[in-house]
Amino acid sequence: MNWQPLLLSLQVTAVATVLMVVCGLPLALLLARRRFRGAALVETLVSLPLVLPPTVVGYYLLLVLGRGSPTVEWFGWRILFTWGAAAIASAIMGFPLFVLSARAAIAGVDPALEHAARTLGSSEIEVTSRITLPLARRGILAGLVLGATRALGEFGATLMVAGSIPGRTQTLPLALYDAVQNRQYAQANGMVLLLTVLAFVSLWAVRRFEQPRQTYAVPAVGPRERP
Amino acid sequence: MTYTNSASIAATSCLTADFALQRPDFSLTVRLEVGAEILVLFGPSGSGKTTTLNALAGLVAPDHGQITLDGQILFRRDHEAKLVNVPARRRRVGYVFQNYALFPHLTARENIGFPLRGPDRQSRVDELLERVNLAHLADRYPHELSGGQQQRVAIARTLASDPRMMLLDEPFSALDTAVRQHLQRDLMALQRELRLPVIYVTHRLEDAFAVGQRLAVMHDGQLEQVGPIADVFRYPASPQVAEIMGIPNLFRARVTTAHADGLVLDWDGLELIALPQAIAADSLVTAYIRPEDVKILYPDRPLADAVRDNLVTGRIVTSRPHPGGRVLHLALPNLHEIEVRHAAYTYAPLGLQVGDEVRLSLRRDALVVISR
Repeated sequence: MNWQPLLLSLQVTAVATVLMVVCGLPLALLLARRRFRGAALVETLVSLPLVLPPTVVGYYLLLVLGRGSPTVEWFGWRILFTWGAAAIASAIMGFPLFVLSARAAIAGVDPALEHAARTLGSSEIEVTSRITLPLARRGILAGLVLGATRALGEFGATLMVAGSIPGRTQTLPLALYDAVQNRQYAQANGMVLLLTVLAFVSLWAVRRFEQPRQTYAVPAVGPRERP
Repeated sequence: MTYTNSASIAATSCLTADFALQRPDFSLTVRLEVGAEILVLFGPSGSGKTTTLNALAGLVAPDHGQITLDGQILFRRDHEAKLVNVPARRRRVGYVFQNYALFPHLTARENIGFPLRGPDRQSRVDELLERVNLAHLADRYPHELSGGQQQRVAIARTLASDPRMMLLDEPFSALDTAVRQHLQRDLMALQRELRLPVIYVTHRLEDAFAVGQRLAVMHDGQLEQVGPIADVFRYPASPQVAEIMGIPNLFRARVTTAHADGLVLDWDGLELIALPQAIAADSLVTAYIRPEDVKILYPDRPLADAVRDNLVTGRIVTSRPHPGGRVLHLALPNLHEIEVRHAAYTYAPLGLQVGDEVRLSLRRDALVVISR
């Protein structure tokens, strides 16, 4: 079996995951903890890649990253048809899974605990890093695994923006398509098995994350006075 | 609103709060001065007690008004002056939340150490653990501790933040009686030692009597009465306060005559005499007599002066034990019922039974008339 596509996939997925977390965590905090105008719009936009055909997302990316776009004209950033473009496409496809899961986990942290931390002298950054994120971390990790797995399996948008250049942008799903086209069924079987096992393991991990361990059980909160 | 003793308290006051807050379905007005004492903020749930604490702690911002602690303005919003809103983390207002709000991912030791920094952090945590008698449970997580232990961790954690004032929201309501009484004594000792203003929120009158020096009665977002706890209980400023305090034997009556010797009340056909008070004849009043002050008369003994007035006959409807004696409910000739409490031994010779008719005196000096 040719290991090149697997290594490339891991590289693309790793970078995509970092992108998801860097952009997604602040957004998840914002959506979970602040009420602002347009929050519903932002949430819908974030969720869009869940339901759009990946080729549509790919097409938008071509517009944003392609010739004539600001990224190329102003910054000279020619990223199309490199593995970097594949990472961006993968990040966008995994983004909603990560953000929605992290947002739900953060929203599940009792605000009284954050208030308690504030009255004990914590700044907002300390409240987030010492209380909110540690308490939401299981849901955040679950979202991370889901998003990363989705990024690993990305096909349509990646094909649009990075092509399928063996050794340079041909990730595992693209290599699988190529193998089937060329009737290399032995290769294809290996890759199918590998992708299935990875997906299975990740879903298993998500289940484990979402079952709270006893130690992190949040105390029951009684009825509170308004507001 | 009534402010008992407000002048004498102002001299030693540590906290002054005078603010209002408006929400679509709720409005809150608070005017309060608290010295180095335990002030009990008392009222039914939904009356705005927790919101008041949140405003003092800096977790919600009032719409206008001012909050000052030890001479420092924590919050000020009015038309002329510049907005001041010291963030919660800089107020040094210790807040013990309802349900304690212990951090579930941290041990007791880590919870207490949460506000602390610097090289002497460990020794300070150990000292606080000792003080609340939890040194042997320091490495347990909150869910591994009993309710009373969690409460002690919460108080120690608040002390670690070196507060200038303490707010306690229904602090012991989830605990059983023995633990609660113990913690209440600890709290009073702590307050005496630290000489901080403490605001203790509760909806249980027993708690108020157990810890409080002064009582602030809150209803529907308004402070109805503030004063020494016994005064508020004995002389509620309004029928509302009396009702919130759960005072039994409240009734509405009409003043038939008012003269220098006393008030004559007509309680649905029952004529009662009360001490003189500046109330016009023919006005409607709320009155009550505390169950301890209703005297059952021995038929074969002469009447003492104190029980000469307001004699009525009552039939015992129910009789059940309560801590320290019995509670009777008696039906009066005017078809109302009255509650009577007495020590177990007091009327033993009478051998009172349900169904018995007895003579009562609603002592004239114990009949409280509220003029609104």
